[in-house]
Amino acid sequence: MSDEMADPNAPCDPNSLRGLVAAAARLLPAQGPISSFVALNPLHGFEDRPFEQAVEEAARLMHAQPYLEESVYREALARGRIQPADIDAILADDLGPRAAEPLAGGRVRLVDVQRVLLTKGLKHESDTAVRWTLTEGDATERLRPDLDPACRARLVAAGNGPDGGQITEHRAASDLWHACVEATAGGRAAVVHRLPPARPRELIVAVRPDLDPDALTHPPLIRLVSAYLDQGVADWVMANRERGLLAAVAEVASKFGPEDRWARGLRARFTEIAARCRTAADRRDPGDVAFQVIAEELDALAIAARDRAEVVASSLLALRGWAGMVWQFEQRPDLAPCVRLPARLADFLAVRLVFDRAAAAFTADRLVGAAAEDEAEPVRLAALWAELRDRFPATRGPGTVSRAFLLHQLAQLLGLSAVDVRSLTTHEIVALERSIYAFDSFTRRRLLHLAYERRFNTTILDALAALPPEPRPASTPRRQAQVVFCIDDRCESLRRHLEETDSQIETFGAAGFFAVPMNYRGLDDWHATPLCPIVVRPGHTVIEEPEADHLSHHRARQRSRRLRGRIRERLFAGSRTLFIGGLVTSVGGAIAAVPLVSRVVCPRLTSLLAARVCGWGRRRIRTRLELLRTTAAALPDGTLPGFTTAEMAAIVRRLLEDIGLTTSFAPLVVLLGHGSTSLNNPHESAYDCGACGGGRGGPNARAFALMANDPAVRSLLAADGLAIPGDTVFVGGMQDTCSSGISWFDTDRLPVTHRDEFESLVRACVAARALDAQERCRRFDSVPRGITPADALRAVEARAADLAQVRPEYGHATTAVCIVGRRRRTRNLFLDRRAFLMSYDPDADPDDAILSRTLAAVGPVCSGISLAYTLSRIDPLVYGAGTKLPHNITGLIGVMDGHASDLRTGLPLQGVEIHEPVRLLLVVETTPDRLWRAVTPLPGVERLIRNGWVTVACWPPQGPVPEVYDCRLARFMPHAIESSLLPQVARSADWYAGVRGNLPPALIRPGHAPQEEAS
Amino acid sequence: MISALASRHDLAAGLIVTQIAAPAATLLGLGLPALVGRAPSEQATTRAVAAGFGLAFVAALVSLAVGAARGFPVEVVHLGTLFSVGHHTATIELVADGLSIPYVCFSTGLCSLVNAFAGRYLHREPGFTRFFILLALFGFGMNLLVLAGSIDVLFAGWECVGISSTLLIGFFHERRTAVAAALRAFITYRICDMGLLAAGVVIHHAVGSGDFGRVFAGAWPAATCLVPAATAVPAALLLVFAALGKSAQVPFSGWLPRAMEGPTPSSAIFYGALSIHAGAYLLLRCGPLLDAAPAAGWLLVAIGLGTAIHAAVVGSVQTDLKGMLAYASMTQAGLILAEIGLGWRVVPLVHVISHAILRSLQILRSPSALHDRHELSAALGGPPGQGESPLVRLLPAGLQATLYRIALDRGFEDAWVGRFLVAPVVASLEAAAEFERRLVARLGGSQDVANEWHRDRGAA
Repeated sequence: MSDEMADPNAPCDPNSLRGLVAAAARLLPAQGPISSFVALNPLHGFEDRPFEQAVEEAARLMHAQPYLEESVYREALARGRIQPADIDAILADDLGPRAAEPLAGGRVRLVDVQRVLLTKGLKHESDTAVRWTLTEGDATERLRPDLDPACRARLVAAGNGPDGGQITEHRAASDLWHACVEATAGGRAAVVHRLPPARPRELIVAVRPDLDPDALTHPPLIRLVSAYLDQGVADWVMANRERGLLAAVAEVASKFGPEDRWARGLRARFTEIAARCRTAADRRDPGDVAFQVIAEELDALAIAARDRAEVVASSLLALRGWAGMVWQFEQRPDLAPCVRLPARLADFLAVRLVFDRAAAAFTADRLVGAAAEDEAEPVRLAALWAELRDRFPATRGPGTVSRAFLLHQLAQLLGLSAVDVRSLTTHEIVALERSIYAFDSFTRRRLLHLAYERRFNTTILDALAALPPEPRPASTPRRQAQVVFCIDDRCESLRRHLEETDSQIETFGAAGFFAVPMNYRGLDDWHATPLCPIVVRPGHTVIEEPEADHLSHHRARQRSRRLRGRIRERLFAGSRTLFIGGLVTSVGGAIAAVPLVSRVVCPRLTSLLAARVCGWGRRRIRTRLELLRTTAAALPDGTLPGFTTAEMAAIVRRLLEDIGLTTSFAPLVVLLGHGSTSLNNPHESAYDCGACGGGRGGPNARAFALMANDPAVRSLLAADGLAIPGDTVFVGGMQDTCSSGISWFDTDRLPVTHRDEFESLVRACVAARALDAQERCRRFDSVPRGITPADALRAVEARAADLAQVRPEYGHATTAVCIVGRRRRTRNLFLDRRAFLMSYDPDADPDDAILSRTLAAVGPVCSGISLAYTLSRIDPLVYGAGTKLPHNITGLIGVMDGHASDLRTGLPLQGVEIHEPVRLLLVVETTPDRLWRAVTPLPGVERLIRNGWVTVACWPPQGPVPEVYDCRLARFMPHAIESSLLPQVARSADWYAGVRGNLPPALIRPGHAPQEEAS
Repeated sequence: MISALASRHDLAAGLIVTQIAAPAATLLGLGLPALVGRAPSEQATTRAVAAGFGLAFVAALVSLAVGAARGFPVEVVHLGTLFSVGHHTATIELVADGLSIPYVCFSTGLCSLVNAFAGRYLHREPGFTRFFILLALFGFGMNLLVLAGSIDVLFAGWECVGISSTLLIGFFHERRTAVAAALRAFITYRICDMGLLAAGVVIHHAVGSGDFGRVFAGAWPAATCLVPAATAVPAALLLVFAALGKSAQVPFSGWLPRAMEGPTPSSAIFYGALSIHAGAYLLLRCGPLLDAAPAAGWLLVAIGLGTAIHAAVVGSVQTDLKGMLAYASMTQAGLILAEIGLGWRVVPLVHVISHAILRSLQILRSPSALHDRHELSAALGGPPGQGESPLVRLLPAGLQATLYRIALDRGFEDAWVGRFLVAPVVASLEAAAEFERRLVARLGGSQDVANEWHRDRGAA
């Protein structure tokens, strides 16, 4: 703040920069190393303002798209995905009383103008383009082909002039054109002066696009930073990494080496910085050097005090992937895949600015010539920036011809004839034109997007309201089995198919780490990884151990694995070296030909064979989890080994209460975690369980089942009022969402009495997973439409094993809804794999504490996933990772496009191409009052709701009609039902057969004859 | 007896022509409809390419079986004469012998595999048809290069390989770096291709023909050179120069790591397997010339070993998978050229084929690196070790740090080639464009045109 007041030419104070860097860091992507990819809101730093404002601000700051292109929405309008009623409703909301404002002398209203601008749109073209159209095309001699018939008839009729000429379209159109040319002849093109950017590079590029300093600095910067952050790709590692990014880079860059012309001064500068870093390291204050360097470089670049914040932010955003990764290493060193490094964002900025200044000075010389070289650099640069700011191009509004062209189009769409236009006063013409310009592209796209979302929300809420009343719970007999799934949208189909296959099965949804936050080390793992939401740092470690009588077998297998691993490592590393490489490559080809051919030609068989060979020894080893803590001592990483009985009881109670399963237990309660296995997929972890921090939830399910089966735990629970019947057995399992496979844990410990029930459950699962595969396959363009469930299963298995497959699965691409409530109410609803389903029983939650802790997890996680997909879909280049095809794994922390690009964060295009970008519709089975009570202690969630990052609807426990939160009015409004007809089908398969796109909800009525949609 | 011989020759010739004609037919079948804006469906496209390459592959296998049974006699197929002046002739000839037949089997086989891979990998990609047209062009060019019976035909194949390589590096032409990398490869190719063109002229001048049958005598690998020694030296040097560009040898290696901009399968087949070894093939084919010019052979050994050392050191500091594999390819390409320079023939051929198979598998698999690494760490019980190579460790610490810096900046030649070779060419082209702009402005008599041109460039 004091900076603003101070003399703009005063030297920069290093300490004033800390706040600027911290503020800029919030704009960077929050994605950590790609091996634990968690979908997060790319605009997390903007969550303190309303969504609509945030996307537009971010769009300006990062040159991103705020919404889809207008043409996409118009195409949605054409196929009925957006309905005219949506446009009307959105416009009425947006304009309020202004809707009826008269225009064109009362002939039309403002809302009419905006409606045609949204639904039909005008061609905005430059004067040159319009002139070309006039001479080469017939746009001014024909009416637009997309006019309403009534409108067209009116215009054509009006074209029958007083001279009794021919009634033709041509006549009407060209007459109108002349009227428009006359009407707009008076005005002058508007000139809009934009504020020039503060960052020198942006200024230079705006004036001379062919001189881009970033094109000079980025390749060496990327090499240095990626060498610093490397987690194990390079054989030869950068030295001094433990001393921090700035020190390590300065040590490297101060050595003798090849230098480009622009980089001549760099070596001397880095030598000096390296020396300062060394003395600072002696004094143990490494932090200060970076800020000193930043301050010096900002001064040397002649950046005025008021511009510093912008320069810092836009300098970091220019390589936002790498800057964000450095920031992640600084914030969460524990997430580094292999090597923890003291990376700091200030160091990165310091390095970047040293490079930037050299490149800016070099470019400046080319811009102004070497004449002014006798002056001191900052003075010379300051003069140059001043000159460039003067030359910063202003944006011109449309010129005379193009204004006439716009008016011509608008007049047609509104049905204004030449006579009408000629009768308007100048003032009315100006007002009409202004209504076009004031309704700019961002506004139009925002409204179209709102209409797009409105249609979706209406469809879902209508379906919820139209559901038949739930059956009385008392009338249902004891279930055969209860299956707890992850809330993941991808589990929705398997759940539904399982319920359809066997009506005696009840399902639940819970966050997929099943309330077991742990560090887990499996039998084959070399270190423990956290299996819990990314915001939680687990305090307990669980290890999978071989049973005592399998120990020798395990050790023998370990030895052989290690040997094979070492050979593979030697061969791969060796193939890249000089001497061994010569040998390996000249004889290894014959061996490599086998996997090359088999992996490409028959991927599924190859992987089955490989799994058979590798898994052969593994399957014979029986293992157990070391769950019970027997010692008080902590492990070296600070976590405790295992859990005490009381801790286990708390975990079991927590989950069962969360999902509302505290009475009427079935004999068999199954927990099904999930993960995803695919090849050739750097984003593999993005398809794993988000609730497990991008890990696989199988071990959590297994651990939970063991805890819940523990008699000691049960007696503790019973003493506390949660009685689990003695004949109820818990079983853990895991679902692979890519290959649709299901595996089970510890089934050998199942009591004999439960074998039949378990077998019948497994049979149901086997049938359901094939149907699940079939339902997934309908989305894949490369799979034929009428595929049978069995073939579909083979197809998804092949995808998981195929090196050439860039869409092994579609991940959360279809996600759009989250329903927190009793499954009983939505049990027969076809939700098209689009809904997170969280079980919650409002009747068992009198003080809303359960809802509060549920929303604390569900709100940020589900909205994060939804926003990551939505924004990646809206702008695949800025928020998404772009197409996968040229991706190049770097440092084992991320992917680049090709050989030297920014680190690409977000989701790849192939993962989001079928996504419908809508904000998450969060439906909570509760009343608005209770919701607010639950949300009050959660400022983060409340912010998401109030600022419209999710659309929240309350679905009252008694009564079918949901109430929707309106951000603008800041209160809940009853949902206006548009259609109370819900299509009914006998089986899910009848509803989705042969269809590729998204499907509306339908009611599954077993035994019901298939029926066409009634409406 | 004679008629049997003739028919056997016809059969062999038919097989050889098929190996060229099948990819050519695919290229035309895909390219011509695409030119008029009628791109076939994805499935039809991959099937057409698979049919073309498959047919060529089967023909090559039959040729291989027949040839192997008969000890690889030299089969020359005369397709026509371009022109003939006095005792000067330029003919279109293909040759099948112990070098070209195994090589064409391997190259068409690899093309077929990559086609199968890319059909799934590029599904729904907007440039799908373009990719496969370029792949067909590459396959056609490669087979032409391999089966060429004269230096003129070889040059034609060489250029097809070069242009398809350039266009695939720039496949994602909406990205600036991809286009810049393609341009860099293109300029390097153009410069080095002059060597091949000049070598052709020299050879034509010396023996009055570019036919290998008249330049060399005997069957590969025991052929001898018929070019007089005085001409052999410049011709051999020019051929070595030509090979340096395609095989990414020092000082023309900078384009290779940058070439990893296209889709993964094209990177695999071009820079892991076939394109990078085109230089080696050229020198193997013209091996007798190198034998006749020992100086060129020794120069080749020096450059090859220099490149291998350079690439091994630079490669060891690369932190991206594809860059690392690019340098690994360069290392082996250097070794292979050195082997050729030593006068070996069969060893480098085996080395080329074996290396190409291994490396293309590694590049195709490179997006699985995280998955593989996870498995490997699990098997080893810890992350695989890192550390400078034992040779580097022998250097004093100060020198190690300097070498690291030089390696991170990809050696000196990269900066120098960019500065002294690429930049002047680009600058002269820009000057030409500027001249044209001024000329148009002068002729058009309007300053507006010039300004608008500048603005358009800015907008782009």
